[in-house]
Amino acid sequence: MANETRSSLGGDATAERSLRGKVSHLRELLRPFIRVLRANPLTLVGFILVVIISVTAVLVALVPVITQLVLGHPILLTPYDPNGISTDYSQGPSLKHLLGTDKLGLDIFSRVLTALPLDLAIGVGIAGFALLAGGGLGLVAGYWDKPRTIGGAISAVILRVTDVFLAFPSLVLALAIAASLGRGTVPSMLAVLLTWWPYYVRLTRGEVLAVKHRPYVVAARAAGVSEVRILFRHVLRNLIEPLLVYYTLDIGTVIITFSTISFVGIGVPLEVSEWGTMVEAYEQLLLTHPWTVLAPGAAIFITVLAFSLFGDGLRDILDPRSRRTLVQAVAPTTLPGQVAVSAEA
Amino acid sequence: MGRNRSDLIVFVGKRLLQLIPVVLGVIVITFFFTHVATQNPCAVWAGAHATADQVQACIVRFGLDRPLTDQFWRYLTTLLSGDWGANPRGGVPVLLSISSAFPATLELVLASLFIMTVLGIPLGVIAANGAGRWADHLVRVFYLSGWATPTYLGAVVLAIAVGPAIGLPTKGDFASTPPFARLTHMSVLDALLALDFPAAGDALLHLILPASALALLNLGIATRMTRTSMLDVLPLDFVKTARMKGLSDFVVLYKHALRNALISTVTILGITAGVLLSGTVVIETIFQWPGIGAYAYDAIKGYNFPGTIAVVIVFAIAVVISNLLSDVLYGILDPRVEWR
Amino acid sequence: MVEPVLEVQDLSVEYEAGTGTFHALTGVSVRLDPGRVVGIVGETGSGKSTLAHAIPRLLPEPPARIVSGRIAFRGVDVLDLPKWKLPLLRGTGIGMIFQEPINSLNPAYRIFDQVAEAVAVRKLRDAGEAPTLFPAPEPHDYSKGTTVKTGEALLHPIATTLPRRRSRARREALMQDVLDYLKLVRINDPETILDLYPHELSGGMRQRIMIAMALSAKPSLLIADEPTSALDITIQAQVLTLMKELMEEVQTSILFISHDLGIIAEMADEVGVLYAGHLVEFGPVEEVFANPRHPYTKLLLRSVPAQYKEDGPLPALSGSVPSLADVPRGCPFHPRCPLARDACTRDPGPMLEPAKGTSVRTHLSACYYSDEVGRMT
Repeated sequence: MANETRSSLGGDATAERSLRGKVSHLRELLRPFIRVLRANPLTLVGFILVVIISVTAVLVALVPVITQLVLGHPILLTPYDPNGISTDYSQGPSLKHLLGTDKLGLDIFSRVLTALPLDLAIGVGIAGFALLAGGGLGLVAGYWDKPRTIGGAISAVILRVTDVFLAFPSLVLALAIAASLGRGTVPSMLAVLLTWWPYYVRLTRGEVLAVKHRPYVVAARAAGVSEVRILFRHVLRNLIEPLLVYYTLDIGTVIITFSTISFVGIGVPLEVSEWGTMVEAYEQLLLTHPWTVLAPGAAIFITVLAFSLFGDGLRDILDPRSRRTLVQAVAPTTLPGQVAVSAEA
Repeated sequence: MGRNRSDLIVFVGKRLLQLIPVVLGVIVITFFFTHVATQNPCAVWAGAHATADQVQACIVRFGLDRPLTDQFWRYLTTLLSGDWGANPRGGVPVLLSISSAFPATLELVLASLFIMTVLGIPLGVIAANGAGRWADHLVRVFYLSGWATPTYLGAVVLAIAVGPAIGLPTKGDFASTPPFARLTHMSVLDALLALDFPAAGDALLHLILPASALALLNLGIATRMTRTSMLDVLPLDFVKTARMKGLSDFVVLYKHALRNALISTVTILGITAGVLLSGTVVIETIFQWPGIGAYAYDAIKGYNFPGTIAVVIVFAIAVVISNLLSDVLYGILDPRVEWR
Repeated sequence: MVEPVLEVQDLSVEYEAGTGTFHALTGVSVRLDPGRVVGIVGETGSGKSTLAHAIPRLLPEPPARIVSGRIAFRGVDVLDLPKWKLPLLRGTGIGMIFQEPINSLNPAYRIFDQVAEAVAVRKLRDAGEAPTLFPAPEPHDYSKGTTVKTGEALLHPIATTLPRRRSRARREALMQDVLDYLKLVRINDPETILDLYPHELSGGMRQRIMIAMALSAKPSLLIADEPTSALDITIQAQVLTLMKELMEEVQTSILFISHDLGIIAEMADEVGVLYAGHLVEFGPVEEVFANPRHPYTKLLLRSVPAQYKEDGPLPALSGSVPSLADVPRGCPFHPRCPLARDACTRDPGPMLEPAKGTSVRTHLSACYYSDEVGRMT
């Protein structure tokens, strides 16, 4: 008989095995992420930057609030009051003012930092809302779309409306809505939100359609598994990956769109620190006092680049190759810029 | 086979018919945002120093006191009859402005697409060929940098700093108003038609910066898509067959692999059009290019309702037609696809 | 002794996957003499495809790595060639046909264009207008008697300059060859399929076209990687018959990879048996199949259902093929081998001749106890 030269299980302490099993199980789950982060250094760079930026944003936003509550007066994390006029007019970057000052003596570095929580929150928040709203609608439109049923009718309506919204180039629509709603932070947030949700509808619907007809879903249905369970176990689980990728990439795009609206002059009011308004305010100073324009510009650039590096790498991790069947099922319009998604999805 | 000419015509016809409800929807939504959501446009139109009477007169004149359905119906009928209204401030007819602005934008967008194709696609091939190695990383940083730069920032830097530094013009489409008649309103084409070759050269120079700005900032779309498609195609057997025929690496990559990868890449043409058109709003404004993007910018900021609606309609039609074009191209490039 | 067309010496190939290192090939040596057909037989995961791809250096180098060994094609060291010279090796030197004809032909181009491309490469090289590794057009020194009538079609006069661009002139210059090679693979009325796309043809047709394309380059070595495995059984028979006939007419040496013992028995002169990346037996095909000298070969032959005529359960091999990431130390087969002993766990055996040379040509086995194989039950 064959010699058993492979190691055989001797008598093990079961408890020890289960703990080791849990640790190795965790390691198994994380391994693909660790592997890719190591394989693609850019993704790692993006991830680190994202973490740094997010933590900074949270601190800049929360520290004044917390200190106000606890100590009675706010302590700003920024070196100077962002709205504090001083006599250090139009100075270049120095040790005293890291990114220089503008015509009124405002410290650019402080202004840039103060704008960070707002812009980041807009990106994360608006994209998140769009994801939830659009994703929900897309789920409905994809899953309950049998013709001649109530679900089918609702799906049709959702799709028609989505099609119309998708016909607008995103920035144009956002600008038009922002202009009509008036200047202000909330109107411009609404404008971006209204522009963004349709892309998630298309995306989600596409994914749902693909999964709906996969053999294992059909098999589950035939075996009598309830629709709700199918929905949660199979459909949603498959949705999470692509949606997460697009969300990450979208954060950057939303920030840019929002700041563009402010740049055009119909967004955030002038008193609020925001990168787009800052670029617009200092636009003409590019040649004479370049740091004023380039600082907020660089801030946007770095933030968006961080999220893009991370999201782009994330996209590679989650191997979209298996989803290419969808190219012909769904018309190729999903997100602005995340165009690779449409043929991948 | 569902692939002959008549199938194609039916397909295109069906899609054009689908255009109509979309355009209708676009009109409704734009109408909603311009007429319903906006508070008191007459305050802006009548001017900053208008008296209450003048504002009221303005309201009556533009029918803004009528019921909404009334306004909409009036607007719809005038639209369809060909009268696209005029800018409430100044009275310039919208149709006139758009018909001269749109071709200029078309020229800009086509130039950008050209740059994106010539630069972006080979970069995607290079990235895919060296996947995971330094060439790939370099390409990725390059196109993500373009992507991460807001259009306004890139345009401002190019127009104010880079352009003057390297001696390229940054304002308008010609150095001075050209002497010849503008037949098509596309600068280079008009100059060529008038056989004015120095002017054509001048027009070309003026085209370089804005088109490059638009292309470089959005290069990622083409590059990323090409890279992904190539990565899908390169492991396939027919690429091996091509190699085993003794063909050089270049021929295998471009004639065999890319040819198939382009099939998928072309599907993004529709979205690319939308993104580029969005970009023209800022680019044309900063580079003072007389196109429909700049017109849209002015219309939106200046509460030019008829102008805004008209521009948005034109944009929407352009996007839908680009989508249609990309589907048609897809069918042409892939012999296996049928027109359904 | 004639110089072998192909000589693989001690080739070892590894794949780096995220989850471990796969030892696809370990110390494999094969020798292919001119005009012969060598079959490589093995189950899935035995490394035979890796061998087929390694020879013309088709392996994707980042995940795959040639650890050691030497590959000599007509005296040229393949592994030493700089990357830019590899295309010169292929086409007219080494040709290859693959398993899935639907994927092996470019879906975007018509049949004529694809076959003509292969013909053009050869014509340009023969005429000295394109670089090649074997500059002078070689007279066939692998003659096996007189050529059969259809084979004469292959001896066209060497073309001079081919029109560069896709023009009618180019099409005409290549047309005759294309038609001849399509007829060679028994496609009647080849004119009718010239303008078709691959997806418009049947699997059998596509495989014939692949063969035509490969042969039109007149390679000295043709590697066939499971050419019929994806075809229906009747088509399979047709294509195999075709290949047998062609082997008479065209003096190309063939390396035939398959998992099907029957096909190898029919097509090959000599056979090598691969197990878990190791070559365990090699010899004339009739010899190896009649008197196997390795336990794996014997058990494999025995488990072929067609052979079994008695009642009762089929004599399947116990256990399963090891993963290439986890090849057992020593002889890879020892965990499942009825003859396994201590020595087997330490070293994979070297390929050895039988103690008493009984056959005309060498019949090698890697088993230490090959003498006992004959008496195995």
